[in-house]
Amino acid sequence: MTDMTAGSPAASWASHRFWRGLYNVLPALALSVGVVVVWEAVIRLFKVPTFVLPAPTAIVESLIANWGSLAFAAQATALEVLFGFVLSAVVGVLVALVIVRFERFGRALYPLIVLFQNVPKVALAPIFILWFGYGLAPKILLIVVIAFFPVAIDMLAGLQSVEPSFVSLMRSVGASKSKIMLRVRIPHSLPHLMAGLKVAITFSVIGAIVGEFAGANQGLGYVIQFASTQLDTPLIFAALIVVSVLGLAFYYIVEFAERWLVPWAPKFDPIHSAG
Amino acid sequence: MNVRVMNAAVAKTVAPDKPAAAAPAHIAATGLAVDFPLEGRKQRVLNDINIAVPKGSFVSLIGPSGCGKSTLLKVMAGLVTPSEGTMTVAGLSPQEAVNARLIGLVFQEATLLPWKNAIENAAFLLMTADETIKKSEAFDRAAAMLKLVGLDGAEKKSPSQLSGGMRQRVAIARALALDPEVLLMDEPFGALDAITREEMSECLLDIWERTNKTIVLVTHSIDEAVFLSREVHVMGTGPARIIETLPITVPHPRTEESYSDPAFTAAENRLRSLLIESHKKGRR
Repeated sequence: MTDMTAGSPAASWASHRFWRGLYNVLPALALSVGVVVVWEAVIRLFKVPTFVLPAPTAIVESLIANWGSLAFAAQATALEVLFGFVLSAVVGVLVALVIVRFERFGRALYPLIVLFQNVPKVALAPIFILWFGYGLAPKILLIVVIAFFPVAIDMLAGLQSVEPSFVSLMRSVGASKSKIMLRVRIPHSLPHLMAGLKVAITFSVIGAIVGEFAGANQGLGYVIQFASTQLDTPLIFAALIVVSVLGLAFYYIVEFAERWLVPWAPKFDPIHSAG
Repeated sequence: MNVRVMNAAVAKTVAPDKPAAAAPAHIAATGLAVDFPLEGRKQRVLNDINIAVPKGSFVSLIGPSGCGKSTLLKVMAGLVTPSEGTMTVAGLSPQEAVNARLIGLVFQEATLLPWKNAIENAAFLLMTADETIKKSEAFDRAAAMLKLVGLDGAEKKSPSQLSGGMRQRVAIARALALDPEVLLMDEPFGALDAITREEMSECLLDIWERTNKTIVLVTHSIDEAVFLSREVHVMGTGPARIIETLPITVPHPRTEESYSDPAFTAAENRLRSLLIESHKKGRR
């Protein structure tokens, strides 16, 4: 492999990075390919009916055959996720700011929010459909009630994580509470906020699909529900793949925003975190 | 009372009730007491503190943990309101002194903003205190202070690229950029290794000699207190108070050789025995 890094300096650096990247994803890639191969083999060997569990090849066939309608559905779902996520972020941040800034009101509000978090949100979907019909509004509302909580909690933790000596320092030059909030607390909370947003974006995708299950005439959740009434299991799986890709894309957009907005945040490495 | 009698036996010791020197006190406390609420009851954390710090002096507060030395510093900085007695800084109440930007603070943690580089951090408090100051002017002052603390060339480095000692130098530069009359330091070198500590002590002494600020230092280290101070206030627990004020007669300018000066060793021994005694009392 090292032979391939030869060439002009820029190219050798790029290819070096490329091979390093490939090396890093190789285990995950190999495992995935292995699972797919075993899956295909089991279906063929035991002649599992397609409506029970389709073979990977059947799923890909369905994906290609239904590409137009899947893309259209993905567009509808993406729009719900986008609006719902942005609104969740705004609501979550506002809730955290209000709780910290108006302490007494915060003391009243916080237990209610925690209590509300324990209501199964999925059960609220039919109520929202009842109130707002089959359109965009009930999905966005459902996403907000599901996804604002991690944003609010992480932002709250971030605002409170400022070292007391920093607050003392600001007070020693006569800075007001609002100034301390604006210049120290809010910037300090940004890495925490980004962590909350990463949870919220995955919740948002779940919220959109659940909202579409409860009642919709478009979107990937609607496609999955429709396909299940037709026993078109390959289409269900094809739609699931599209949902996953969509969710992954949204997640990486947020992660990219994190690197750009808070470059000082400690890097998160899920594998080596204990070391 | 016993302490008082014992103090009288030591020729060098100044009685804590009397002002230490003829020079007008820059920081003065009389009959100062502080109560903190603890489980619904009032807990006295400082009792009958009388202290007078002359202008341009370097004074240390030393004592066992929980003796209230940090609280006393916080009262000087206007962060804690006294329950009894008075505290004045440059003839003003601490809150007025804060508003007049007379006070610079340095803590054990450098508390730098991780998203700002060294010079931005050094200018940060100045720009917070004075909204009208031009950015270029604030940065010029911050750069000058970074140079004073020996950090020229590191202006653009982020806190994560600086060592513990360098971060603490930025924190000192940040306090000095305010051009305060009084520099209050709460165990500023407490988190540093021994060699860096000595380096920082020399740096601080140099800054004091050049800027002529009034400096109050809270420390655990006997060495540090003797090496840096003109006067050391020894504090004791139960109730927290000043048990003795010891003038340090080690001649200036102080250098590495000062550590072996007879006056240094004598002061060190005296402080050690006082601290051991108050430690024993605290345990009882």
